[in-house]
Amino acid sequence: MPLSQSFVWVVAAVCAAMLAACGGGGSSASDANVPDDAPLSAQAALGEKIFADVTLSASGRLACASCHSADNAHSPSNGLAAQLGGVLLDQQGRRSAPSTNYLSFNTAFHFASDGTPTGGFFWDGRAASLQEQAAQPFLTSFEMANASVADLIAKLAAASYAEEFRRVFGPDIFSRPDDAMARVTLALQQYQKEDADFRAFSSKYDEFLRDNVALSAAELRGLALFNSPGKGNCAACHPSGKGADGSFPLFTDFSYDNLGVPRNAALARNDDPAYYDLGLCERAELAGRADLCGAFKVPSLRNVAQRHVFFHNGRFSTLKDALTFYAQRDTHPEKWYPLNSDGSVSKFDDLPPQYRANVNTSEAPYDRLPGDAPALSDAEIDDVITFLQTLNDGFRR
Amino acid sequence: MTRPSLRALPSKTLLAASLALASAGAFAQTATEADLARRLDQLAAELAAVKAQLAQIQQQRATAANPPAPATPAAPATAAAPPPAAASDNTPATVITSYGEINYNRPTKANQNAQADVRRFVLGYQHRFDAKTKVVTELEVEHAVSSASDSGEVEVEQAYVERQVTPTWALRAGLFLMPAGLLNENHEPTSYYGVERNFVETAIIPSTWREGGLQLVGNFDNGLTVQGGLSTSFDLNKWDATSGEGKESPLGAIHQELSLAKSHDVAVFGAVNWRGVPGLLLGGSLFTGQATQAQAVEKARITLWDLHARWTPGRFDLSALYTRGTISNTAALNAALVGNPTLIPKSFDGYYVQAAYKAWTFEDYALSPFVRWEQFNTAKSYADLGPGLTPDAARAERVITLGANLQVAPGIVVKADYQRFRENTDQNRVNLGLGWSF
Repeated sequence: MPLSQSFVWVVAAVCAAMLAACGGGGSSASDANVPDDAPLSAQAALGEKIFADVTLSASGRLACASCHSADNAHSPSNGLAAQLGGVLLDQQGRRSAPSTNYLSFNTAFHFASDGTPTGGFFWDGRAASLQEQAAQPFLTSFEMANASVADLIAKLAAASYAEEFRRVFGPDIFSRPDDAMARVTLALQQYQKEDADFRAFSSKYDEFLRDNVALSAAELRGLALFNSPGKGNCAACHPSGKGADGSFPLFTDFSYDNLGVPRNAALARNDDPAYYDLGLCERAELAGRADLCGAFKVPSLRNVAQRHVFFHNGRFSTLKDALTFYAQRDTHPEKWYPLNSDGSVSKFDDLPPQYRANVNTSEAPYDRLPGDAPALSDAEIDDVITFLQTLNDGFRR
Repeated sequence: MTRPSLRALPSKTLLAASLALASAGAFAQTATEADLARRLDQLAAELAAVKAQLAQIQQQRATAANPPAPATPAAPATAAAPPPAAASDNTPATVITSYGEINYNRPTKANQNAQADVRRFVLGYQHRFDAKTKVVTELEVEHAVSSASDSGEVEVEQAYVERQVTPTWALRAGLFLMPAGLLNENHEPTSYYGVERNFVETAIIPSTWREGGLQLVGNFDNGLTVQGGLSTSFDLNKWDATSGEGKESPLGAIHQELSLAKSHDVAVFGAVNWRGVPGLLLGGSLFTGQATQAQAVEKARITLWDLHARWTPGRFDLSALYTRGTISNTAALNAALVGNPTLIPKSFDGYYVQAAYKAWTFEDYALSPFVRWEQFNTAKSYADLGPGLTPDAARAERVITLGANLQVAPGIVVKADYQRFRENTDQNRVNLGLGWSF
């Protein structure tokens, strides 16, 4: 056989072998961020116990799980605008308690390359990690209200699992309260990272992405309205598509937005007309950024239909009201804000006048004027809510 | 035949080829002259084959006389370095190549958007290890500056090794330009008419389109060139339904350029070009491969094909091309993207016809006015997603380009043209360009 012919045959055989080798692989979708069922590490197992331990609070009645209930996607089970804490459990918090689900995918606070503030934990992103976040409620006067780190660690040393804590972190760990505190928060972080309940990806929408179930017509309509830049435009901050690596959507881009949410009279602090919650610019390192005053974290919308209050100040208690506010904030502002003495609408009344220009008025659905048709009709809002209900984890066919 | 391959030919062969081409252009009008020119082509091809065989024999003798030395790192090669002993003629073992284009675009209806840009600046080299083996590379900078705060890009556009296995067949491995259409493998500014590359071969065929893989290239004495092989494919997971990138170029939005390319899916491609009649090129290409890379539940196949022709009778330069792409299973892929502005199209296509005429020559100067009509649609159809959810197919854009290329010296071209759009008339524009290639 001539050289040229044999060469062509050899190359053809190699190519055929390569194609055959590649034909049968890839049997499953890449659920890139779906957790496995591995048992919790020793640290995470301790974190689970600490998370549920009410004895680590001054009141003896408040644990992490009190405000972040596993039965409610690790968010409050009640409809309070802000949760109660303190020694007597009678101190109201400043802001609504968010869900802690899916936060293991969050990053430390930073400004993205285009200047967008991104990441961080709490409504204002002041904590750089789950571990750093976990420390603060223990010592905040209107939450678990421990007098000091030593006070907390003394309670921990008397806990039923204290011996386990010693076994994991050393027999003398309680003699070094600061080190013990660092282990407490590390354990809480590990628990939230390892336990699949915090990132279940088990909603109907996830099953839809896995091609295991179809969405109903109303759910599909709601998804389209959710995504559409000219309608809900929700996906602009709450992305709904899979990532380029196959990862499932988190329904937040971890950025910040200034929505001009109306003042909530249910927050006792708002009785003081001079009091304002300014969000990002309250942080010392951002005090000079007046343009960030009024901006709060964009939360994940996974399990949002299980929430009882919405936005940082808990101003709305139903999804219908929250979505209608989005759609009609600018077309019917009189429905959401009080009137001034001259009869005009005091729009964006939960911000001092000098910061009201920071409110997002350029993007849909806010890019409207009084009298314009809202971006979403009442029926369309119902469709969006129907879709949002597909984001509840624990879907069973 | 790609430009790098031409560069590597010995000067005598280049001369013969040039004579053949010139003959083709000037004397192709009669059957007798065409026959003479074809025979000249065949002689040139046979000469090249004989030289390759001679080089092979010389190399075998040299190897027998001097056993191979232990492997050592290759010394940095430069253009001025003397050719290695295995080289079969006086061609340097290492050749520096370059091309570039500096463009000015002025929209006629929005001249505040006028823009000047070093569209691309490319440096490359070819190094011939022996008479049958070479490496070809190109490094490109787009938009002059590439940094974290600038939109420029630095990219390796070609990086492959080619081994002439037989006088007819060569094997390429690495990152190479895909054999598709007329422009993709011949994309230097001196190789096409107009300041900007045509839309069909940028929006539908995503020039400059390259993949990593293996490619066989066969050049036959009858003027047939056959290319084919296996390559990396596109990545549909990159599709961003929220941006307009996919509307500009569906495949340009999801190409991988061998940059950490997902490689679960392997594509097959092939191209046939026939130059059996002097001055005439007829060809076509086909690419097909899965493109979800096992990272989605749904599989989807991307297929792109084209048919093209170029004819250069006398002073005329006429060309035409049609290309069409399809993506399978887009209904499933789009299901979660409904409502977004840019869903994945089911099909996209385009064609153009172009005529140029070498109207004036003086010494090295050559002025060639041209006209090009093209029609393309990046979203010709969408799979059905149900009422109210299925996007409308896009309207085909139609563009006419009138202009001229002025060759100032061999390898240097100055261009000017006017482009008129039928749909998006805001894009109507005047373009000026300077290009070079060597």
